[in-house]
Amino acid sequence: MFCPFYNRQPDEEQGGHADQKTSPARTSHKKHLPPIPKNAVPITKPASVGTPSHLANGTHASYGPFYLEYSLMAEFTLVIKQKLPGIYVQPSYKSALMWFGVIFIRHGLYQDGVFKFTVYIPDNYPDGECPKLVFDTPVFHPLVDPVSGELDVKRAFTKWRRNHNHIWQVLMYARTVFYKINTAEPLNPEAAVLYEKDGQLFKSKVVDGVKLCNSHLFDQPKVDDPFAISFSPWNPAVHDEAKERMFTFKRRPEEHHKGAQVSGLSWVKPGSTQPFSKVDSPQS
Amino acid sequence: MMASVVANGNQDGQSLVLNGVDPETCMIVFKNHWAQVVKILEKHDPLRSSSMHPTLSVINLGVGSGGVHRFGPIPGDEASAVQNYVEHMLFLLMEEESGQGGCMGPILEFVVMENVMERLFVWSLRREFTDEMKLEQLKMYEMLVGQARQPLLHHKPILRPLMMLLSSCSGTAAPAVEAELVLLLNQLCCILAKDPSILELFFHTSEDQGATNFLIFSLLIPYIHREGTVGQQARDALLLIMSLSAENERVARHVVENTYFCPVLATGLSGLYSSLPTKLEVPNEEWHCLHKVDWMRMPSLVQFLNSLEFCNAVIQVAHPSIKDQLVAYIYNGFLVPVLAPALHKLTLEEVMTTTAYLDLFLRSISETSLLQTFLSFILLHQHESVYILDTLVSRINTPFQLGTVSMALFRTLIGFYCEDVMLQLILRYLIPCNHMMLSQRRVVRERDFYSTSAAKMLALTPSCCSPDHSPPPLRQLDSILFSKGGADTPNSSSTADEQKSFSEEDDSSGNSCTIGSEIYLDVSYLHYLYDARLSISSCIRACQVWSALYDAEDPPPEKYQPGVLEEPKLEGRQTQTALKRVPKLLVSNARSGLPRGEPPSIHQLELEWDDSYDACPVQTTETPVEGKPAHLSPSEPPKHIQEMRRTAIMLVKGSYIEENEFQDDVMVYNLVAKKDSSEAEHAEETQSDPAHAPLRNGLTLPTSLVSDNDKNSLKAKAKGQTDCNGNLQNATPVESGEDFLAQYEELICILDSEGRGKRVKGDRELNKPVSPVEEEEEEEMDFMSFTAETPEPEKLQSPFGTVQRLRSGSSNRCYSVPFTGPFISVLFSRLENMLTNPLHVNLLLTGILAQLAAYPQPLLRSFLLNTNLVFQPTVRSLYQVLATVKSQIEELSASRLDFPERITAAQHWLLAREASFTATGDNNRLRVKLQCEIGFSDRIGKGWEPLP
Repeated sequence: MFCPFYNRQPDEEQGGHADQKTSPARTSHKKHLPPIPKNAVPITKPASVGTPSHLANGTHASYGPFYLEYSLMAEFTLVIKQKLPGIYVQPSYKSALMWFGVIFIRHGLYQDGVFKFTVYIPDNYPDGECPKLVFDTPVFHPLVDPVSGELDVKRAFTKWRRNHNHIWQVLMYARTVFYKINTAEPLNPEAAVLYEKDGQLFKSKVVDGVKLCNSHLFDQPKVDDPFAISFSPWNPAVHDEAKERMFTFKRRPEEHHKGAQVSGLSWVKPGSTQPFSKVDSPQS
Repeated sequence: MMASVVANGNQDGQSLVLNGVDPETCMIVFKNHWAQVVKILEKHDPLRSSSMHPTLSVINLGVGSGGVHRFGPIPGDEASAVQNYVEHMLFLLMEEESGQGGCMGPILEFVVMENVMERLFVWSLRREFTDEMKLEQLKMYEMLVGQARQPLLHHKPILRPLMMLLSSCSGTAAPAVEAELVLLLNQLCCILAKDPSILELFFHTSEDQGATNFLIFSLLIPYIHREGTVGQQARDALLLIMSLSAENERVARHVVENTYFCPVLATGLSGLYSSLPTKLEVPNEEWHCLHKVDWMRMPSLVQFLNSLEFCNAVIQVAHPSIKDQLVAYIYNGFLVPVLAPALHKLTLEEVMTTTAYLDLFLRSISETSLLQTFLSFILLHQHESVYILDTLVSRINTPFQLGTVSMALFRTLIGFYCEDVMLQLILRYLIPCNHMMLSQRRVVRERDFYSTSAAKMLALTPSCCSPDHSPPPLRQLDSILFSKGGADTPNSSSTADEQKSFSEEDDSSGNSCTIGSEIYLDVSYLHYLYDARLSISSCIRACQVWSALYDAEDPPPEKYQPGVLEEPKLEGRQTQTALKRVPKLLVSNARSGLPRGEPPSIHQLELEWDDSYDACPVQTTETPVEGKPAHLSPSEPPKHIQEMRRTAIMLVKGSYIEENEFQDDVMVYNLVAKKDSSEAEHAEETQSDPAHAPLRNGLTLPTSLVSDNDKNSLKAKAKGQTDCNGNLQNATPVESGEDFLAQYEELICILDSEGRGKRVKGDRELNKPVSPVEEEEEEEMDFMSFTAETPEPEKLQSPFGTVQRLRSGSSNRCYSVPFTGPFISVLFSRLENMLTNPLHVNLLLTGILAQLAAYPQPLLRSFLLNTNLVFQPTVRSLYQVLATVKSQIEELSASRLDFPERITAAQHWLLAREASFTATGDNNRLRVKLQCEIGFSDRIGKGWEPLP
């Protein structure tokens, strides 16, 4: 049995933790963004009062990458909040537009499958097409391209609508396809046909595929990126402590911040809007 | 005397090295010496008795009266003989190791058995007990206690004469004796702190003397507020006892019930405050708060801060009962009777100075319960029925330095991340949600995924300041950090093949992962984002202790419709605590039955502090408001709030005239003065015809409310002669003859045993007739605070009127027009004038806005930063204000040819300014200020922490 621990780079503590302490501006961990996307130009433009040269092509267009990055951060936070069962993602070091992920299938035909994948987000997000999801090893599945490993996401998101569609939905979809198999218009016709005609053979092929995938689990990640997801065999020296911490790290992540110098004050009794209504403040 | 050589023995006592000397020999020597001493002692003993009781009576009579010579002078040779013997004896005692199993060494046992120390003390009393002798004896004990190799204080025969010595030294005024006394007390406290088991003995020893007290504690109290080493040592020693009290209930109870420790501390603050300069010498126009460099130059302020720091420390370490008492006294003995009137003084400079002091005090406090006391004073206390907070807010809009100093105070207040402050300042006006359309409530909680608000805000950047026009230094700064990705990846050691596969994948997938070109904007903008992120995340973290989310659901807007907002209770729990505690002290005073104002030294053994302090804080909170123009019915908002509401309405109707007014400060003040005097005349007319009594606000005032007093003082006011102090004086006959300020003054004078006659300067100045110039200012200043008053007849009738009080203050506002509160309205109105404001004002303004923008509460955040939210037509948004400013700037830049050059110069100057601040380590505060000069968009790019 392999252990379902995957390695994160040491700098990234707790993928779900929404507090990244390093400064974007002062460390080398700055995520770099693609050039200014066309559609990210703000809608409002300043009235032309100054000299015309000041308003040459998109004065404020240069903020576009920041808006994009913010959108992606917000998306990532949403993913974390969804707590999707068995799905873990992490943006790459080099680009916020590329997320590494892994999905654990816990029951059904694909039980015990551990599939690594990468999400590619178009650089004109959220106005472009829907993000791509590509499995590192092509999974034997009607909706997964047997050559490229790409999952057919478009069928679920024919048009990507900003404000309505979010990346966690793509991840959720990726999980669903392994539990509820759809064979219409397959990317892998062989798998579709087998599923319809010969369930046994399909099942054995799936099992082989899962085995193959798991046998490559400890391989180096295909992509050279410090935040790429990689697995290693259980090593008590390393993992025991991490496991311990996971179990002791209780629901209250705020405690993590205790001892921080800055702390707020409140003497308002819950349910009241009256200052100093609390009888005894906990701070005292 | 007898210890003079002993005391110097540290230097020249080498002859007495006892190393290796047989303990038995030492014992024999000691006994021999003692026998010689006893011979002399008995020769002069009136009763020829070694019993201590007769001698004790001698002590009680003799102390403080300079010794007794009943049996004639003691010959000098005998005295010096005793001195020599004693010197040797003490060395032997000091050097003795404790016996087996920690029991007494033989010499110590002998000392205890023979009551050596007490007999020596009595002997010295019999001779002339001069300061010099006190000094010597203190030094002797200091050495003995500090250097003895076995614990001595456990033994009553040693402890008791020590206590007698201490109490006999208490009345002394000689600085050298005081210094030595405090040093010894400090040493004793150190020993106590290390070995609390002695504590019981300290209490018992006192009981033997007929008083249940804790002498070493009581003796330290008069030195609390002393400056210099003596004061510091006394405070350190008291702190040791305070931390002892946290564990020892008995000490705590004693301090609270039997001593005047807390009142002395609190009223000491009042006294020290009174000696502060009432007008600061302001270095320049930009100055707006007291920095360390400023107050370090003012000895009186340093002394005040020392005492405040001491209060802070006491509250930190002491038992909760002491803490509660001290906090109550600070509230009722300093904030309410001293600071509140000081905040309402007559001239701009004085008020400005007080505001700057208050700001400094707030910044100096670290203990939360002390901070709570100060904050509840600001938020809930009403001075002459106007909340301190409202007065302070209204002053933001004052021209001159009072405005900026007030802003600096609010910067401090907002920086506490205190729910109560933010609630009173802003949130309470937003909770009902009637500043927005009903359908918009859900928008409050929505996340702006695609930064549309940020884009709109950033689009307000004037074209002359657009990122493309940044001067070269802005662009080059740190640009090395933003080089292409990959060059500095940690895994750069990985094989070339892997890298190749990476780039291949990159290309084949068509998903570009690296940046195509440098983004120059990064440099300054990323710094800005970084700072914004830092302040937002620390604010979010801080606000986790808050009671509600303030997201248009919690608290529910329906429950808090305008006018229904809960009334704050009386004066918070501070007053309640004080009510409970003060009578105890009053009782103890009554029992002691001493005439007031006696020098404290005489009765120090029975009563630890002179009882001139018997002010009842309950009354002080109720400074009677008599003789105030009665022109508002109690249910109406105070006038200045109405003014502000009118201002806010005018703002949105575009007819806001303040902008013009403030361009000429003098004109404003003339206008205000005129308005004031015409109102006063109007009021006078009202008096002459009470039957009609038509009031400005259209309400008719019941004539019964207008007492004779009111009429008289109304006339007085019309002449511009009523001032705060006058009120207090008027009040004295009504209120059982208590002039509290005078009392504090009195107490402080006694406290100030240095006898430098540091009388309360400020008050005397107030009593002086005002010069014509001041009179003018007075009228001007009065306008803001006085016009808001309402008559409160109940107050005059019951001295304990806290029980029921009609609220006419800020909390009782009923608005038909949506109103986002006076603070926001004042802030926006100053913001709108950015172009005419001086730079330092704008820095303060933008700094405060940046602070506000960092708050995570959806109500506040959406109000300030969500441009998608649809407000009620009458509500003015930050976006609107900034849009106005932007168009003003565009207009200006178009009309000035050299504008681009000036912008560049200004940017260089600001950068240089930041550099100089960074050099002095004060860059954090400045960063907050600078952030907003680059653009108002705290919310965009929050890092991996989007809005909750």
